[in-house]
Amino acid sequence: MTCLDVRELLPELAVGVLSADQRTGVERHLQWCAGCRKEAADLGQAAATFGFALAPAPVPQGLGERVVSRVRRAAGAPGTARRARTAAASIVAAMVAVASLGWGAVMAGRADRFEERAAQAERSQAEALERFQRVLANVIPAEAVSAGDTHLGQLSPVATGAGGGFALQLVSPTILDFSMVIVNGLDPAETDPLPYRVRLVNADGQELRAGRIEELDADGRAEVFHQFKRADLTGFTSVVIVDADGDVVLSGTVDQSA
Amino acid sequence: MEGLLAGNEEAVRALYARYARPIFTLGLRLLGNSEAAEELTQDVFLAAWRKAARFDPSRGRLSTWLMTIAHNLAVDRLRRDTGVTRPHLVLVDEVPEMGGVDEEEPLIERDAAIRALDSLSDAEKRLLGRAYFGGLTAREIAEADGIPLGTVKTRLRTALIKVRRANQDKERP
Repeated sequence: MTCLDVRELLPELAVGVLSADQRTGVERHLQWCAGCRKEAADLGQAAATFGFALAPAPVPQGLGERVVSRVRRAAGAPGTARRARTAAASIVAAMVAVASLGWGAVMAGRADRFEERAAQAERSQAEALERFQRVLANVIPAEAVSAGDTHLGQLSPVATGAGGGFALQLVSPTILDFSMVIVNGLDPAETDPLPYRVRLVNADGQELRAGRIEELDADGRAEVFHQFKRADLTGFTSVVIVDADGDVVLSGTVDQSA
Repeated sequence: MEGLLAGNEEAVRALYARYARPIFTLGLRLLGNSEAAEELTQDVFLAAWRKAARFDPSRGRLSTWLMTIAHNLAVDRLRRDTGVTRPHLVLVDEVPEMGGVDEEEPLIERDAAIRALDSLSDAEKRLLGRAYFGGLTAREIAEADGIPLGTVKTRLRTALIKVRRANQDKERP
């Protein structure tokens, strides 16, 4: 889809009447096109105005408690772990911010375009890492993270498989180690059944579990974050994503020497 | 937002107190019954918690973000329930009521929304309402009204830009 095609559909995207196929196409374009994304945000904001103009209906009694209880359950029980969870959330926010700063362009598209985009990504690895470190510096005290703590690796499909991805690691002496994996262009309907499991492997063959992908969006995209409360990620440079049958879907190596 | 990210109960309560009513109201309007609207409201706050890290204040207000989540979830639910590729929304009427209902805590967002929609002509309000609340595509509106598809698309875009501009004018100091 060109920008012209997408701009023509943005008003209908804003008011929620695009067909599923059209919406998928437009959203795929928005992942990498900042100009159209801005226009989509503007029109979406305008459309939401209609919702806010409705005369308010009374909210059922007890709904607030049910909402709080559902979020509480999803977030895990409050208590001593809250502080660590908050830290993790900040890192997740930073990671996602990095992803949205430009990797969308790299990650957009399906297998046929991925190879070319992945090549571009490789060329800009240093820039991506620098950006990652800059964002991290905004959420974690600067003295707590050094440039050498953050590492990046590219994930590729096996044989003729589709899709690709990135693995990011924070390996720090002062902050709990953290990994993030972004995948895109995967199609579980074809050959590889969900869920996918992310494993980090070191040179001795020891494995760490780094999350699970239960579902993919329309672009075959998903993100997995994992904070390691005990494990040290040093040396766990091999990243493998396997499907429900145990077959490798994507794999790659994080360069911890960088 | 930081509180929401951490699953902080107070943050969820604060967001709920401020935005539950417009979200529930939108659910009621689109889904047509209280039970579905209640479920939608729960889904919206859960989705907001899950997506909190992706919220970017430079790309829009929190209220807009939440309302967009609500509208998308409602539309998705209707698509799922009806098994069609576009929403068949419950069309209660075409244009939102513009006032006359007492609120315990008037929402700034609602006042602002009503003022922004005042920038539209009645025809533009009807057109946007038919799409946003009625689920009619530009093509369906064009066929129903016997006018070219391009004209409907242009009018939709023009109307949305007018609302957006009115919102921006209001936000300027």
